[in-house]
Amino acid sequence: MNRDLNIKLISRVLGGLLLIEAAFLLTPIAVALMYGETEMIRYYLFTMLIALVLGLSGIAAGWKAESTVGKREGAVIVTSTWLLYTLIGSLPFWMSGFIPDFTDAFFETLSGFTTTGTSILNNIESLPYNLLFWRSMTHWIGGLGIVVIFLAILPMIGGAGYQLFTSESTTPTREKILPKINQTAKILLYVYVVLTLLCALALLLAGMNGFDALNHALSTISTGGFSTKQLSIAYFQSPAIEYVIIFFMFFSGVNFTLYYFLVKFNFDKIIKNEELKYYIIVLVVAAVIIFLSHIDYNNSSGFRDFEKSFRSSLFIVTSCITSTGLCTEDYTLWNSFTWVVMLVLMISGASTYSTSGGIKISRVVLIVKFCYYEFKKLVHPNAIIPVKFNGQIVKDEMMMRILAFTMIYTLIIVIGTFVLSLSGLGFIESMSGMITCMSDVGLGLGQLGPTHSFSEIPVFSKWFLAFVMIVGRLEVYSVLLLFTPEFWKK
Amino acid sequence: MPFKSEINFKLVSRLIGNLLLVESATMLFVLVITLLFNEDDGRYFIYSSLIALALALLMILFGRNAPARAGKREGSMIVTFAWVFFSAIGALPFWMSGAIPSYTNAFFETMSGFTTTGASILDNIEELSHGILFWRAMTHWLGGLGIVVISMAILPMLGINGVHLFAAETTGPTKDKFSPKVNDTARILFIVYIFLTIAETVFLYFGGMSLFDSVTHSFSTVATGGFSTKQTSIAYWENSPYIQYVLAFFMLLSGVNFAMYFFGYKRKFFKIKENEELRYYLYIMIGASLMVMISLIDFSDTINLSVIEKAWRDSFFTISSLMTTTGFVTVDYMTWKPVTWVVIVIIMLIGASAGSTAGGIKVVRIVIAAKACYYEFKRIIHPSAVIPVRYNKIVVHDNTMIRVLTFIILYLSVTLIGILVLMISGMGISESIGGMITCISCVGPGFETVGPSGNFNNIPEFSKWFLSFVMLMGRLELYTVLMILTPAFWRH
Repeated sequence: MNRDLNIKLISRVLGGLLLIEAAFLLTPIAVALMYGETEMIRYYLFTMLIALVLGLSGIAAGWKAESTVGKREGAVIVTSTWLLYTLIGSLPFWMSGFIPDFTDAFFETLSGFTTTGTSILNNIESLPYNLLFWRSMTHWIGGLGIVVIFLAILPMIGGAGYQLFTSESTTPTREKILPKINQTAKILLYVYVVLTLLCALALLLAGMNGFDALNHALSTISTGGFSTKQLSIAYFQSPAIEYVIIFFMFFSGVNFTLYYFLVKFNFDKIIKNEELKYYIIVLVVAAVIIFLSHIDYNNSSGFRDFEKSFRSSLFIVTSCITSTGLCTEDYTLWNSFTWVVMLVLMISGASTYSTSGGIKISRVVLIVKFCYYEFKKLVHPNAIIPVKFNGQIVKDEMMMRILAFTMIYTLIIVIGTFVLSLSGLGFIESMSGMITCMSDVGLGLGQLGPTHSFSEIPVFSKWFLAFVMIVGRLEVYSVLLLFTPEFWKK
Repeated sequence: MPFKSEINFKLVSRLIGNLLLVESATMLFVLVITLLFNEDDGRYFIYSSLIALALALLMILFGRNAPARAGKREGSMIVTFAWVFFSAIGALPFWMSGAIPSYTNAFFETMSGFTTTGASILDNIEELSHGILFWRAMTHWLGGLGIVVISMAILPMLGINGVHLFAAETTGPTKDKFSPKVNDTARILFIVYIFLTIAETVFLYFGGMSLFDSVTHSFSTVATGGFSTKQTSIAYWENSPYIQYVLAFFMLLSGVNFAMYFFGYKRKFFKIKENEELRYYLYIMIGASLMVMISLIDFSDTINLSVIEKAWRDSFFTISSLMTTTGFVTVDYMTWKPVTWVVIVIIMLIGASAGSTAGGIKVVRIVIAAKACYYEFKRIIHPSAVIPVRYNKIVVHDNTMIRVLTFIILYLSVTLIGILVLMISGMGISESIGGMITCISCVGPGFETVGPSGNFNNIPEFSKWFLSFVMLMGRLELYTVLMILTPAFWRH
């Protein structure tokens, strides 16, 4: 790097983003007013004040910033955005005393903004409406951040193979980053908002009350996983609600740029999209596998039981693959091999350009194709058999990046599992806790299962997992780049 | 691209036939052992030997006019089926003599032997006759020998494995650098192998083991197998730190790329010093041992030298045993803290050096993958700079890195799928994880009921066959076996 980090610009952008958070803090105030929880308003006002002051001083500090921006600025901006948002966003939980421990409040808020959904709360229903709403809102803001800011900046950082996963028209290049960001971001933003509204409406029709419908819509479309009930979706015991949530989780896991084609009536592009195809295939196959393991072959069971086990299989599979983390049943009581299926789905994740976490289906598909290609090459060393994705030939260089990304992702999971077990967690807890946080899902196994929470794990593990959530959410490189010496070298 | 020719089945048949003659001869050698110990189960070895001989002659007869051309496909078929045939016939003495009444179990045990895994279905090892025990150790030794010769001399020639080819170019023997002919390379490796075996036998014998135990344990160690003649494995000699250290040290030596010994013999010490795989192999082993040692020491208790020595011995022995994929045990690591299990899983997956008898992913691949990942970070920051990745001071091509990364990801995926299959077949989660990893890396002990104090006897029948297949696949570095299962392999 031959130039200094453009700190002024970073500060200005962060300042601007903090003002947005301040604006978002108005929403829980509105909820508090609506439900007469006026004693809570002062906490939000105070938090807003801090956000405003920080935001304005950030903008002031970056007043005459040059507009040069590169990957380094991009990486610093996204990572600090998530950190600052969490620091400020956790204040209402902490100050109001509903989460008395700052570590817990930070963990919960970060879990919100990274759309993970792991919770340290043991009695969610005891929270006032406005806090519940703010909790769901952190998900929605986090998802929005991913869709609008991060997905636009990511290709610039050079994250593994992003150029491949969308049509060129929406891929921002380095030189023209700003206009392109706006263009892509606008489309994605519309999709995001429309999906949220549709989801809320559908939930309302399915029989939820207005507050729960809105909260679950916020949580579903951002693939977060916070619920307003301790039992998550199991509380409602309503097939209609479960199906609605399954569908909207599925929709949130689809590549958002495909909705753009939908609006343009360009169905050809949608049908030919390989990522979508494999996303659906993986989802259905996994659901069927789990469904088959549910059937009690010794007893004849009626259609009702079949439907119920099909529904719960489909729900958990969708919830895992889209990294949402809502649940309808205690899967820790299921056949233990379903856990492995769940973990695999969590690692694979859903589509690129969606709010889901994980490695992403398209990368997994490319790797599978490439492995097969390697076999072919071994048998026919002279043949040139190109790997294709969406009809495009994938270059070796791109393949190298995708392989390296997957490798790093796996390596982090292994190291993280080790660190967690070192910090005192059990084997299954370490492994599932690490995978669930890295892929921003929220469902753990063993002592981290749906009937437990993350509140009992050691303080160190909480901070470590918080770090892991950011790393996973920002697709590894944006965060880890900051830790390489090269990054800071001039 | 279609092949110009069909697979040369005749040649495959003839070569496997020749190899079976070796097995037949070895069985006759075991007959000598049974006579020495005055045991009455020698006839089973004669029967088996005759069956092997008959089959060998048939196969040689079938392939008598074989054309001399051989390619990759023939190579991978020879290698794969050599192991399958050896195990199928090698299982006969166990089965016929009634030492292992079920043929599935006998096959599993023999495959575990020939793949130098060391996973056993036996729960009464001491009751077996000397002949059977010797044959059991012999399967390891033959399997290890096969791997050394095949992986170092034959696979690179066939171009089957990227890393071996690559490792051969930089560190190991190539046709021009090492010896002019494959036969010569094989001979040198054979000598190293025998030398290590004899040296270890001598050391063990002077440590107070009986001659029989010394020989069988040497066979087992040098092949990085793991079969012991005692049910409790090396814990039987728990009062002899000397024996444990000797074994740990020889396991370590067997995990080194055998080409290093050749360089040592030729006094090319700079080649040994420069070798990155050797260096990282030692770093990882010592680092992991220290980590486990610290976790074993109870800091609330008084700490004296003997406590530290015991902790070091246990951890070093276990790590050395698992990393070289041998699988001897002195303590049941299931009683250790869960964090050590994570270390154990990682170590088992990594394995030791390429060009040794060890299984696993191999240190060289891990080193190259780690460098490739770091290179990726650098490349993101400096997109236009050309920063080459070097291994042993030689620039690694992108192509090689891609192959290495693909191999590792394939290895992990196969492991994951295998765990799923095992769980569906009815094993618990820890058993499946432990069983799958231990078999694909050819280690031996897994977790829980298939752990150090348990055995594979009680797992479902299907799982035994499946794990036999996994052992073979892991032993032959995935590609050799998986290649045969692709449609492209059979297309003309």
